[in-house]
Amino acid sequence: MALLTVDRLTKRFEGTLAVDGISFAIGEGRCVALLGPNGAGKTTTIRMLTGLLQPSSGAIRLEGMKPGQDLRAWIGYLPQTPAFYGWMTGREFLVYAGRLCGLSAKEAYARSDELLARVGIGAAGKRRISGYSGGMKQRLGLAQALIHRPKLLILDEPVSALDPIGRREVMTLLGELKSETTVLFSTHVLHDAEELCDDVLIMSAGRLAEGGSLSGIREANRQPMMSLETEGDSRSKEWLEGWLKRLPAGFEAASATPAGARLIVRDLETARRTVIRELADADVRVTKLEVGYTTLEDLFLKAVAHS
Amino acid sequence: MKQWFVLFNKEWLEILRSYRIIWLPIGFIVLGASQPIATFFMPDILASAGNMPEGAVIRIPTPQPFEVMAGALSQFGVIGLLLVALSGMGAISGEKASGTAAMVLVKPVSHVSFVTAKWAALLLLAVLSFAAGYGAAWYYTASLFDSVGWGEVVQSALLFALWLGFVGTLALLFSSLLRSAAAATFGALATAAVLSIASSSLPFEQSWNPGRLSGLAAESLNAGAASPGDGQGAVWLTVIVTATAMLAALAASARSLKRMPSND
Ligand SMILES: Nc1ncnc2c1ncn2[C@@H]1O[C@H](COP(=O)(O)OP(=O)(O)OP(=O)(O)O)[C@@H](O)[C@H]1O
Ligand SMILES: [Mg+2]
Repeated sequence: MALLTVDRLTKRFEGTLAVDGISFAIGEGRCVALLGPNGAGKTTTIRMLTGLLQPSSGAIRLEGMKPGQDLRAWIGYLPQTPAFYGWMTGREFLVYAGRLCGLSAKEAYARSDELLARVGIGAAGKRRISGYSGGMKQRLGLAQALIHRPKLLILDEPVSALDPIGRREVMTLLGELKSETTVLFSTHVLHDAEELCDDVLIMSAGRLAEGGSLSGIREANRQPMMSLETEGDSRSKEWLEGWLKRLPAGFEAASATPAGARLIVRDLETARRTVIRELADADVRVTKLEVGYTTLEDLFLKAVAHS
Repeated sequence: MKQWFVLFNKEWLEILRSYRIIWLPIGFIVLGASQPIATFFMPDILASAGNMPEGAVIRIPTPQPFEVMAGALSQFGVIGLLLVALSGMGAISGEKASGTAAMVLVKPVSHVSFVTAKWAALLLLAVLSFAAGYGAAWYYTASLFDSVGWGEVVQSALLFALWLGFVGTLALLFSSLLRSAAAATFGALATAAVLSIASSSLPFEQSWNPGRLSGLAAESLNAGAASPGDGQGAVWLTVIVTATAMLAALAASARSLKRMPSND
């Protein structure tokens, strides 16, 4: 069952169409990644979902929400760059956030201490936030998003500001959280999405380029692929350039790598034979020839490049 | 209501931690006390200044106690207003710019509560500071000149507090409409100045003008005079118009915040 349904959501800023009529649904209990390069419209979409930005048009519906009920009570949100009152301690901020969400003072204190420990800043809870590092603020931001046990947790690039260790810790934490609640998080790192998510939404230039379950998308877009790399000497390069221009039937260039290319092919067997023959004839200095199937990475790059 | 108090407590805690609770009352006390003291010692100060021609006799009539108090009010009306506007500077624009308003307003928090809790804390601070300053003025006036009656002082204090509250509310309104804290402070003070000047210089009746309040406050100190505002429209009308304008300003602030909880 869909917890969140978004219908033709559009946001136009003066001059730019940041989000261009996207529609999708998020099932209850799913973990969804909103993927896209810089400027794709991820933050704009998320800010509309949280009610911080009025959509130019389109509708957002939460299942089970009665008309007139406050949508914000169900959502926990971590902005891309969370902001705090520097004069408060981390614990004070969490208690404040909890009480604003309707927790009693006692509950708010208990929940704050629990969450401070859980996000790994238990010891810093009594210090002023003005003395926190960026990574600590990110963790505090995650804790305040969780304070009222939201039905839908929305995180805008939760790990991009963290060092590798922090990143690992927060990814592990998100892995635990996804069994407790529905999670939507944005990222521009495909690997993070693949590691955690059930579903992905790939955005590019304000549009939804691809969306669905990770396995479904992988299956539907699995194509025979060939990856070729050379030493990068001038003769090999020349040959590769020429060859890419007059590709035989059944080949299609997918993307260029520094000293090679990735190609989508129609039939693996014929393609392999053709390429090996041509390489031998032209005496190309091959370093790598890989024959297999496209990955999500190829799809992501293709979706993003189309814009 | 519980939520409103959580918001208000946070505002008050911020006032305590930023020491505004100390420096604003001190500012008002200095202003209020300096008026009677300076007036009392003025003849001595002039005499000791020394550049008077030999034999000149300085004759400054001793002012009435209520005139000294009115002098203190006029200090509050200029520097006091500036202090209040500065203490509320960026109350909302700062939170919008830093992103903390967005952090709070994605929670199920009423925009009206958010604005009114700030407003209440700001006005409480302003009124406490004013009371301390006016109390100081009263004390020194009574010790150095003569006492001024309870009734007159309280009435003038209430009228003046309303004027301070009105300007504080304007500062909050501009702070939610404008991005720059300095522009908001300037806007509030400029509006107050225009209203105040209009009330004292334009020749027609202006019972609707909140700018009259400081003048009314000063007049109501004089027990001997006719009741304040006589012949210029009713005082209660001014009070009602001011209160309504404050409510409207709060509603406009809340509305603007709801439309744009952050700057981008
Ligand atoms: N307040 C605004 N006014 C005008 N244009 C805006 C505004 N906010 C965003 N945009 C534009 O909308 C587009 C999408 O921006 P958005 O912040 O949603 O991207 P994003 O996918 O979150 O990128 P990133 O990965 O860099 O965070 C960009 O072209 C941006 O310039
Ligand atoms: Mg973003």
